[in-house]
Amino acid sequence: MRTTATLPLSPFEVDEALCRRVLDAALAGGAGHGDLYFQRVEQTSVVLEDGIVSRAATAVDRGVGIRAVNGDQTGFAYCEELEEAPMLAAARAASAIASGGARRAAPVGAPATGRGLYPIVRPWPDVELDSKLAVARAVEERLRASDPRVAKVRVAWMDTDELVALVDAAGRAISDHRPMAVVSATLTLVDANGRTESNSSSLAMRRGLDWFSAERLADFADDLVRRTQVLFDARRPPAGEMPVVLAAGASGILLHEAIGHGLEADHNRKGQSIYSDRVGTKVAGPDVTVVDSGLHPGERGALEFDDEGYPSERTVLIEDGVLRGYLHDTISARHYGVEPTGSGRRESFRHVPMPRMRCTYMENGPNDRDEIVASVKRGILAENFANGQVAIGAGDFTFFVKNGWLIEDGRLTAPIRDVNIIGNGPDALSRITMVANDFRLDTGGWTCGKEGQSVPVSQGLPTVLVSSLTVGGTHGA
Amino acid sequence: MRCRDGAVETVEESRSTSVRLELLVDGRYSTHATTDLRDGPLDAFVGEAVALTRLLEVDPHRRPTPEALWRDRREIDLDLVDPRVDAISNEDRIAACRSIEEGARSGADVLGVTTWASDGRVTTARVSSDGFSGTRTCTSASLGTQVGVADEGGKRPEGYRFCSATHLADLMDAGEVGRVALARTLAKLGARKSASARATLVLAPEAGGGFLRRPLGALHASAIQQRSSFLADRMGEPVSSPLLRIVDEPHRPRSLASRLYDGDGMTTRERTIVDDGVLRSFYVDVYYGSKLGLEPTTTGSTNTVFQGGEGDLESLTREVADGFLVRGWLGGNANATTGDFSFGFHGHRITGGRIDAPVAEMNVTGNYREVLPRLVAVGADPDPWSTFRTPTLVFEGVDFSGA
Repeated sequence: MRTTATLPLSPFEVDEALCRRVLDAALAGGAGHGDLYFQRVEQTSVVLEDGIVSRAATAVDRGVGIRAVNGDQTGFAYCEELEEAPMLAAARAASAIASGGARRAAPVGAPATGRGLYPIVRPWPDVELDSKLAVARAVEERLRASDPRVAKVRVAWMDTDELVALVDAAGRAISDHRPMAVVSATLTLVDANGRTESNSSSLAMRRGLDWFSAERLADFADDLVRRTQVLFDARRPPAGEMPVVLAAGASGILLHEAIGHGLEADHNRKGQSIYSDRVGTKVAGPDVTVVDSGLHPGERGALEFDDEGYPSERTVLIEDGVLRGYLHDTISARHYGVEPTGSGRRESFRHVPMPRMRCTYMENGPNDRDEIVASVKRGILAENFANGQVAIGAGDFTFFVKNGWLIEDGRLTAPIRDVNIIGNGPDALSRITMVANDFRLDTGGWTCGKEGQSVPVSQGLPTVLVSSLTVGGTHGA
Repeated sequence: MRCRDGAVETVEESRSTSVRLELLVDGRYSTHATTDLRDGPLDAFVGEAVALTRLLEVDPHRRPTPEALWRDRREIDLDLVDPRVDAISNEDRIAACRSIEEGARSGADVLGVTTWASDGRVTTARVSSDGFSGTRTCTSASLGTQVGVADEGGKRPEGYRFCSATHLADLMDAGEVGRVALARTLAKLGARKSASARATLVLAPEAGGGFLRRPLGALHASAIQQRSSFLADRMGEPVSSPLLRIVDEPHRPRSLASRLYDGDGMTTRERTIVDDGVLRSFYVDVYYGSKLGLEPTTTGSTNTVFQGGEGDLESLTREVADGFLVRGWLGGNANATTGDFSFGFHGHRITGGRIDAPVAEMNVTGNYREVLPRLVAVGADPDPWSTFRTPTLVFEGVDFSGA
């Protein structure tokens, strides 16, 4: 008897026998591996605009992604009706990736259980709408009362309840119940001369209602107020190369773009990444240790199991300056003859998994923040970011700075705004000359896009000095 | 279908159905979407949606789209369906990928080639309780490729080409897709940053969208009402040099963005957005139009057409003494409230009217309020397959940062 094996499947109203028939169909062309990825997502969002709840939305999405894997090749189809006929039809479409003798799926084993990485008492669908509105309203009221120049306040709430069950042809079964909640806000100030400035911020966690305490929401709102007020005095820095100090927290975007994507093993397996032949080589100074981990409880990038059913883990990418390894899915792990790193992720059951980041960060170094700022003759400190991007092969990466400061003679002298910073991954890593001891993970709602698929991620950094990057700015300023 | 270096990498095939419900219950507004269309769950879903909506606040500006804005729709044939697309087989897709790859490897030492061939058919239907009813069906077929080559310093620059169309006959030749991507990739060899400068900006047709979608985004009534539009108070005023003429053409035959009605169900019509540099129209939906006291126009852009240009990238570049040709973007962003922008790019230095050394790892930075009036030339060479149909555009006096 393996009654426990039916547990992850029961919410999808399918049983082990049906799963094996569908997996057999997926392997009918001779593919060596196959999996069924069942997913149900329930989402609620509300928007508070001009002082009232101007809209609300709910969404329910459910279905199964069926995959047949033959070496490096993937056949894939999904269906939204969890009935035998459409599932078998989808499995047959996926099976076409291979052409050989049919294989059979193994009996489904006992489902693996997680470690409790999502500290939540009441799942979001059980939380009454009023409590969610109260969170949005608390932020809205705090922002509205913050400054006589407030012209517009917009606060959005979104919660997601995601249930995943995976069964594969080798008999592995897992389930993962993933919560997510995001508060985002935009504040617009207009001064007496009609000058308008706006800024946005978000707070995102795999946690429950209790985490959104009055104090946290007040801190979140106050931070957005400061970020917006300072824009009235902010200017563009001079254009060109200069030292860039990255403030602790969200500056982890540097790692995400400059190295994280380049170490996703699919890009390396295919020889596309600038890091393709550099494992075991020195890529940064001895104070630089970079990690990608799914194990930080409650963080947006936390993950019990990846979307191929492997336990998430802490993967060291760079250790004391030496490149240690890649982020793997099962295809690349088999290619390299290593264990998967629990990094195979997908946006939904409609997508195939691929190596992706979770929480990407740098560990603490020996310096302190003030010492780093004081060491810069003329440069900038980057504090808040909007977005970033990387060209995997050439290694060029960018990130957009919403707020920062000009550094002159070791002191922060004037706020700066809205500039893009561009660099080259290996160059930038080798130019990290100081690392502080004030590491923190950012709590913003970061979403990583790759080949059309979006997944939630986190990032973090201690204060870091990059001795030279190209800063967008005004010529001759 | 995705192939890599001559072998099939991924085959995907699926169909999807979903329902989206938009509710207005006693002045309270909400939207709900589901893919669980079984009778029982669907009934429960609708019941819960109505119950949730009753918990919201009354919003006096929420109202159904006035009948006058949708009743006059005529069923013009936009020619958006090509039955040949439905007949495409996996063998056809593999053959297309092979042809793309052949083109992408023609006469060059290439590190790797990834190719795509995809196609589909989408039908949407919109029905509302006050009598509106409309459907739109569109086929689409796409080809694309990414080519990588080896460069100095262990760099592996990539170049891309994508095209998609409603009709197979309008797609680029597959071999040509590969050849264009290869040429773009080889053009990047040896790219490095050039010195920071104030110089002329030449936008290649494929790069124009990344630059001009931002200011056009500031024309939405939602941005204006939320005071996050630097163009909010500029209606009827010059926002660029007189060379800019932008028309929204929703009824362009065979174009992927064409439609007879918009997101609010409003009948679409041709609309001048910018005329000789003067701002003539906002994108005003029903809700934010009510908040602003503006007549609704349409919920957003369809086919954005740049009129009145002359010449092409080659002829316009010849007139540029000192500049940068932008062929593609890397990150960056714009602030719709102030008009500030800063983008990473790659392309070429232009000196004495000649396209010179390739550049990368540079930023272009400025403010649309200042840069749009410095538009000095507009080409007539948009990508024939595009829906945001920017031709070559030339701006003077723009800030570039590099070495």
